[in-house]
Amino acid sequence: MNRSKVFLGAGRYLLVGLASVIALIPVVWMATMAFKPREEWTSGIDQLSWLPENPTLDNFWFIFTGRAPKLLVAIDRTAVGPAISSLVCATLGTIIAVVVGTLAAYGVSRFKVGQNLPLSILQLRLFPPLAVMIPVMIMWAYLGLIDTWWGLSLIYGIVTLPFSFWLMMTFFDDLPREIEEAALVEGCTPWIVFRRVTLPMVKAPLATTILFVFILNWSDYAIALLLTRKDWITIPVFMNALSTAMTGQMYGAKAALGLIAAIPPVVLGILIQKYLVRGLTFGALKQ
Amino acid sequence: MNAAITEHESALPSGRPTINLAAQGRQLGTLMILPAQLLLLFIVAFPLLMQIYISMTYWGPTDGVSWVYAYQSLNWFDNYVTFFTDGGLWAAIARTLFIMVVAVPLEFVLGLGLATLFVDNFPGRRIFYSILLTPMMVVPAVAGYMFYMLFQSNGPVNQILSILSHSNVQLVWLSVPNLALAAVIAVDVWEWTPLVFLILLAGLLAVPEDQLRAAMMLGASWPQRFRRIILPRMRTVITIVIILRLVEAFKLFDVMFVMTRGGPGTATETISVYIYKQTFNGLEWSYVAAIGLTLLVILSALAVVGMRFMKYEMEIEKEMAPATIEGKR
Repeated sequence: MNRSKVFLGAGRYLLVGLASVIALIPVVWMATMAFKPREEWTSGIDQLSWLPENPTLDNFWFIFTGRAPKLLVAIDRTAVGPAISSLVCATLGTIIAVVVGTLAAYGVSRFKVGQNLPLSILQLRLFPPLAVMIPVMIMWAYLGLIDTWWGLSLIYGIVTLPFSFWLMMTFFDDLPREIEEAALVEGCTPWIVFRRVTLPMVKAPLATTILFVFILNWSDYAIALLLTRKDWITIPVFMNALSTAMTGQMYGAKAALGLIAAIPPVVLGILIQKYLVRGLTFGALKQ
Repeated sequence: MNAAITEHESALPSGRPTINLAAQGRQLGTLMILPAQLLLLFIVAFPLLMQIYISMTYWGPTDGVSWVYAYQSLNWFDNYVTFFTDGGLWAAIARTLFIMVVAVPLEFVLGLGLATLFVDNFPGRRIFYSILLTPMMVVPAVAGYMFYMLFQSNGPVNQILSILSHSNVQLVWLSVPNLALAAVIAVDVWEWTPLVFLILLAGLLAVPEDQLRAAMMLGASWPQRFRRIILPRMRTVITIVIILRLVEAFKLFDVMFVMTRGGPGTATETISVYIYKQTFNGLEWSYVAAIGLTLLVILSALAVVGMRFMKYEMEIEKEMAPATIEGKR
C-alpha cells in the first residue's frame, strides 16, 4: 500500500513536471532570446544556445527607438505606436463590451426582456471572422473607420460582447433578487436599484469580466490585420514589420516585442484564474 | 414574442404582486438592452444584406465602382457554382477538418489525463496549475511567431530531438508539407490542451465525492469508477469543451498565418487562410462573400443541432445529479 502510494506520487510529479516543462519551454526560449545580442541569433550560426551568453537590452532599445548601435540596421517605425494602439483599442473595446454587455445582461436577467438576445449574441462568436469580414471591411471603409482607433475599438467591443454579456448574465442570475426587491419596496426606481444595490454587489464579477475581455481584445490579430493599415496597427501586426527582405528575420527584436505582448494576458490570466472556466464557457460552467 | 412572455409571467405563482422586479422594470429593461440590440443590428443586419448582395455579383474592390453599383456585374449564383468546383477551397476545408480531427482528440486525451492528476491535492498543485495554464494565455499570433523560431532547422526543437535520439536531427520543419502540418497541429495542441485541462478539471472536481467513496468501498476499480460514475456526470462538461474546441479549431488563423502563411505551398492552408488569400491576393471579394455566406449557413445549421444536443445532454444530467453542475439555458 505504502510503496504503491510513493510510486504513484512520484509518477504524478514526473508527468506533471514533464507537462510543465513542455508548457514553459517555448515561452522561456522567447524570453531568453529577447536578451540575446545579435551575434547569438543571426541565422549564420549552427546551433543556437539556450541562455544568452552576453545578455543585453539592445533588442528592447531597438524596437522602441528604432536603432541600436550593435544591430546594424534601423527601422523607420518603432513599436511605440503599435503598443499605444494595442493598449488604447483593447481598453476602449473592453469598455464598450462591458458597459453594453452588463446593461443588456441585467435587462435580460431581471426584466425578462429580449429573450432571444442571448442566443443571437452568442452567434457572433461562432463564425470565422475572415468569412464575414468582407461587408464589415466595406462598411468600415465607407464610414471612414479603417485604421482609426475608434473603428478598431468599436469592432473589438462588438466581437467580445458575447463574453461580457454571458458572463454578467450568469453572475446576475446567481444573485438573489430579494435584496433588490426590498429596495424597490423602499421606493427606489429600478435604475437606482441597479446602480446603488446591484452593481456594488457584483464588483468582483465585473472586475473579472473586464480583465477577461481585455485579454481577449489584447490577443486579437486577425481583425487588426484586416481593419488597420499603418497608424493604428497593433503589436501582433507590427511584428510582421520586423522581418523584411532587407533586414531578414529580426529574431531578437521580435522576441522582445513578443515578450512584451505576452506578459499582460499571462499576468491578468493568473489574477482571474478562479473565474477562467466560467469565462471560457460563456458562463455555462461554474467552478 | 411579447404576448408569449406576458403569458409566461402570469402563469408564475406570484405571492407578492406589488414588488415584482420584472414587472416594474420592463421599461428600463427595454432601454438597457437597446445598446446591445443596436450593436447587433449594426454588425449583423446591414453587413448580412450586403454580403448576400455582393455574393451574387462579380464585384471587387479594384473595379473602380462603389459596391452599391455591384449589380452591374450581377451573375446570380455563379459564385456559388464556383464554390462547388473550387478545388483549392475544398482542399482547405478538408485540411481544416483534418487538423480539427487530429488536434481536438489529442487535446482531449492529454487534457483529461492531466486533469485526473490534479483531482486530489498534492504539494505544489497550485503552482503547477498556473504553469500549465500559461500556453493558452499567450497571444496566439505571438505563439505562432514563437514556434516559427523554435522550428527553425538550427532551433531548439531539432536540438532536443538530436539529444533524445543521439543523432544529428536537421529537419526543416516548416518547409516540408507533412512536417509543417505536424508542427501546426503540435502548436495547436500546445496552446489549447490547457483549456481542455482547465474545464475538464472543473468537471472532475464537481463529481460528488461521497458517491465516489461509496463506489470505492463497494470495491469498484478506478476504471470502473471512471466509466460508471465520473463519465456520466461529465457529459455536459465534455460536450461543452469539445464544441468550444471544434468551433475555435475551425476558425484557426492567427497561428498558421504567422508561422507558415499557409505554406509550404498550401500544406497548412486552413479555410481562414484561404479566404484571406482570396481577399487580398485574388481580390475576388464577391466570391469570398459567397464562401463566407455558405459557411455561415452551414455553421448556423450545425449550431442549431448542437444546441438541441446540449439541451438534451443537460436534461439527462439534471435527472442524474441535480445539484452538481448547473447547466445554463
